[in-house]
Amino acid sequence: MYIQVDNANTFIATGGKPFAAHLPTVVLLHGSGTDHRCWALQARWFAFHGYSVFAPDFPAHSLSEGEALTSIELMAAWLVRALDTTKVDKVHLVGHSQGFLVALEAAGLLGDRLKSVTALATASAIPVNPALVEMAQSNPKVAAEMMLQWGFGSPHQYGASSVPGMQPIGIGTRIMANNPLAIDLIACNAYEKGAEKARQLANIGCPSCVILAAQDRMTPKKEGFKLALDLNTAAQVIADSGHMLPMEAPKESLNLMKKFIQSLET
Amino acid sequence: MSKSSYLGADTIALHSGYQPESDHGSRAVPIYQTTSYVFDSVDEASALFNVEQGGHIYSRITNPTVAVLEQRLAALEGGAGAICTASGMSALFVSFFSLCSAGDHIVSAAQIYGSTVTLLKHSLKRFNIDCTFVDINDQQALGAAIQDNTKLVFCESIGNPGLAVSNLPAIAKTAHAQGIPLVVDATFATPYLNNPIEHGADVVVHSVTKWIGGHGVAVGGVVIDGGNFDWLKSGRFPTLTQPYEPFHGMNFWEEFGPAALAMRIRCESMRDIGAAMTPHNAFLLLQGLETLNLRMQQHVSNAQAMVTWLQTQDAVAWVNHPDINAEAHTKALFPKGAGSMLTFGVKGGRDAGAAFINALQLSSNLANVGDSRTLVLHPGSTTHSRLSEHDLIAAGIGADLIRVSVGIETLKDIQADFSLGLRAAAKILAQQAEA
Ligand SMILES: Cc1ncc(COP(=O)(O)O)c(C=O)c1O
Repeated sequence: MYIQVDNANTFIATGGKPFAAHLPTVVLLHGSGTDHRCWALQARWFAFHGYSVFAPDFPAHSLSEGEALTSIELMAAWLVRALDTTKVDKVHLVGHSQGFLVALEAAGLLGDRLKSVTALATASAIPVNPALVEMAQSNPKVAAEMMLQWGFGSPHQYGASSVPGMQPIGIGTRIMANNPLAIDLIACNAYEKGAEKARQLANIGCPSCVILAAQDRMTPKKEGFKLALDLNTAAQVIADSGHMLPMEAPKESLNLMKKFIQSLET
Repeated sequence: MSKSSYLGADTIALHSGYQPESDHGSRAVPIYQTTSYVFDSVDEASALFNVEQGGHIYSRITNPTVAVLEQRLAALEGGAGAICTASGMSALFVSFFSLCSAGDHIVSAAQIYGSTVTLLKHSLKRFNIDCTFVDINDQQALGAAIQDNTKLVFCESIGNPGLAVSNLPAIAKTAHAQGIPLVVDATFATPYLNNPIEHGADVVVHSVTKWIGGHGVAVGGVVIDGGNFDWLKSGRFPTLTQPYEPFHGMNFWEEFGPAALAMRIRCESMRDIGAAMTPHNAFLLLQGLETLNLRMQQHVSNAQAMVTWLQTQDAVAWVNHPDINAEAHTKALFPKGAGSMLTFGVKGGRDAGAAFINALQLSSNLANVGDSRTLVLHPGSTTHSRLSEHDLIAAGIGADLIRVSVGIETLKDIQADFSLGLRAAAKILAQQAEA
């Protein structure tokens, strides 16, 4: 669906079913330079199993218009404004990589509207190599390729695909090369409040779930374990997947996501 | 253009899409000779049917062996995804079918494979899809032929059988300027010689039957979704950008973006038309693909040597190969050589041509190209026989034209065989002179 946020036409993927604010809502937040399509399969499952799905393209990403947001704080505030346009009350926040930094920051703004947080292939801080940022500024296509060479785990480097016949590296590079990757990376790099926000969530007893990828070279899993410690939860690790976890292991990641979220809804 | 793999082309051809499976460690890609796949549970079945999970349901739609070939070809061409089909013709059909509906229009190169001409000119016409044929390298003519209802521009990267090389970057520019995608049949080029997506193509089709297989034992086709075309911005593609009721109201562009066309073909054409590649054929074609790059080197070097050799033969009237007096765009698009097809005419016209073919012993007179063995044919009386005199000329085919798909045999043996043919042709010419 398209909604207006800050007067900009904004795309929210709803998993193939109309958004219904009264249903338990799962918010799926994409990572740097990507878009809602990294959740294509997971979004459909939630939408067809009694949930409403709210998977935005952040401003200036893929199908959304507007100006790219330059910090995690601005993205979190934007997310809350976007959610408010739908009259949705309580939400489960799920974030991949940068998307989880946004979730951590948005958690404080949402207060008791937040039901849980789920982290995929991420950490509480995401330092980015300055050379990559520079490349993303000067040649986004090459930067996207560099990132995905690191981003995808070994099966995908050898052409694996969870959807038969597809080339996720090809799909990912095309999406990333046309999105404001450099701005996203700078925002990730600058965000230093992740660990503190995670500990605050643990202190108020917010349910959390951490799903890591064994072959993650962008946010190495030892950083993910630290995040889990801060959130006071146990991390679960998916084998044979790299950083692009939602695309690389949609079934395995969905199984853990849905088990956690379902446990809170029944 | 964006990559789909970080491996080199030789490695992709051998490894992409398959790593030894955990059950038995089979090094070769296994043949999954099965129609269907057991679901773990009712929940899993419904997740598969509703595209909440990737996987296999029924081999008309997907099959694990076929998927390896699809993923390998998509990686080789640098695409977002691929769909293999029963033949090259069905790959072309599902491409046109997925982008066009009744009332729509296609602009096509005039010099293309005969069956593709009949598909565009007659078969699709029955469904009210029209086609205008143009000289594809005349950008003014191409631009002028695009109408409000045009949905795609089509050409072959190397035309069959005229062997004209399409100036892909110029054609893509003309098409894109009007919001139209470029569909390229790259059969004669193979992924080894040229990758059309790098040069602006949006969809690439191959008859996998030909060089990719190389052994001449299996018919197959592939459509590769280039993933770069913005179907929404173009505003001409409701099949990709509006909800598709017969598949859960799926909006392919919103849900799959760069793979929208591939997913539409999967969900509609493979379901409703069902021109699926068999797993056994996929296995056979994979065996060919693994050595494509090595074979192509010999195909091209033999072809170039045959061109030079034929040009010195008395009985030969003319020789055509895109590398002869190559145009600038041919050199730019085909730095490794513009393929292993050549055409030539023997002095003495049609009868001398027939005598040439009848005298050959090594080369095979048959209706195929791209076999590892040398193949010869007289298109005017076979593949293109249904074309009118006018269409024959438009397609670049003279009555004396002999088409050669140069194989990878030892060069001197091909030359010795052709010497037999040329001697027979010379005899006819002498008889004609006496009469
Ligand atoms: C350029 C070209 N495209 C498509 C085809 C059709 O392929 P198939 O015979 O696999 O259907 C051919 C067959 O000769 C061809 O030469």
